[in-house]
Amino acid sequence: MRREKAPGSTPVSKLKKSDMSLIDKNVAVGHKLPTVAKKFRLEDFKRADEKTIHTDYEAAAKEGLPAPVAIGPQVAALLFRQFRLCFGMGWIVGGRFDLTFRKPVFVTDFCVARSIVIKTEPEGGKVRVHCDVWVENQKQDKVIVGTASALVEGA
Amino acid sequence: MSIAKTRVLEDSKGRRAAFEDIQVGQTLGEIEWRITDELIDLQCQLDQDFDPLFFPQDEGARRIAPPQITYRPPRWLISRTYNVRGLFVRWESESFRALEPDTTITVSGSIVDKFIKKDREFVVYQAEGKDVAGNLIFRTKRTHVLDFVERNAPREGAGIDSGIKAEKI
Repeated sequence: MRREKAPGSTPVSKLKKSDMSLIDKNVAVGHKLPTVAKKFRLEDFKRADEKTIHTDYEAAAKEGLPAPVAIGPQVAALLFRQFRLCFGMGWIVGGRFDLTFRKPVFVTDFCVARSIVIKTEPEGGKVRVHCDVWVENQKQDKVIVGTASALVEGA
Repeated sequence: MSIAKTRVLEDSKGRRAAFEDIQVGQTLGEIEWRITDELIDLQCQLDQDFDPLFFPQDEGARRIAPPQITYRPPRWLISRTYNVRGLFVRWESESFRALEPDTTITVSGSIVDKFIKKDREFVVYQAEGKDVAGNLIFRTKRTHVLDFVERNAPREGAGIDSGIKAEKI
């Protein structure tokens, strides 16, 4: 273990500047965050030997689905990786999101997370960077849409 | 294999929750959940995110968990009260503090809304997690559609999957 303090949770006020992000307070509205993409496989959604709507064609068909569907949070995780990459601890502590899963993602779909800065505003001595976010599949259908925001240093 | 035109009535864990069963305002109780190194490993594996924040390489660096590790406990809470399989359609969340290994959080929740839209039935619940000192760690609101099939379809037959899951990642 590499910890040097007792376990617990850390408030935003305790974050060091070095914990913060690639993106800074001067980021321009319209700036596009680097994309994060993944080609999913059915195996990505398997847990033990359970037959679920995420792993089994018959289980999915029973629910009216044409094929197994991806686990939503694992698809949304593409956006979370993007925000972790761009904002570091400003995402981990202080991150917010509101995501709508518009269409099923099937378990072998290719997905890309995209985000664009829409606004910045001061918040408690830091700056909150707001983005429109979405995940596209291989047909460029927006399967997840929403907003997300994170904190960067400086007001 | 034909694709069902009906809504599932029951599965191996019992009858599916009907829209009429769901009580807005109902508490979902609470659950204590311990974040361990093993759970962080598993979450990072699922999300394919192996950033040094989650796998510190420097001597003395502290490890933290990805915020989305908190996804599951609220889902378990609603499953304890209602057998909702359906699909996850909306996820709102805010993280207030970083979670470290060996932290125990208490997650509590309640049903806050239910509605019908585009001939489908939805349930909305909220939850929050606090550490042992009472600090708020996260707050979330989730919306699930009860069935992928439209609500004018009858409920009949048994499903294979269930909304009631083992309480583990």
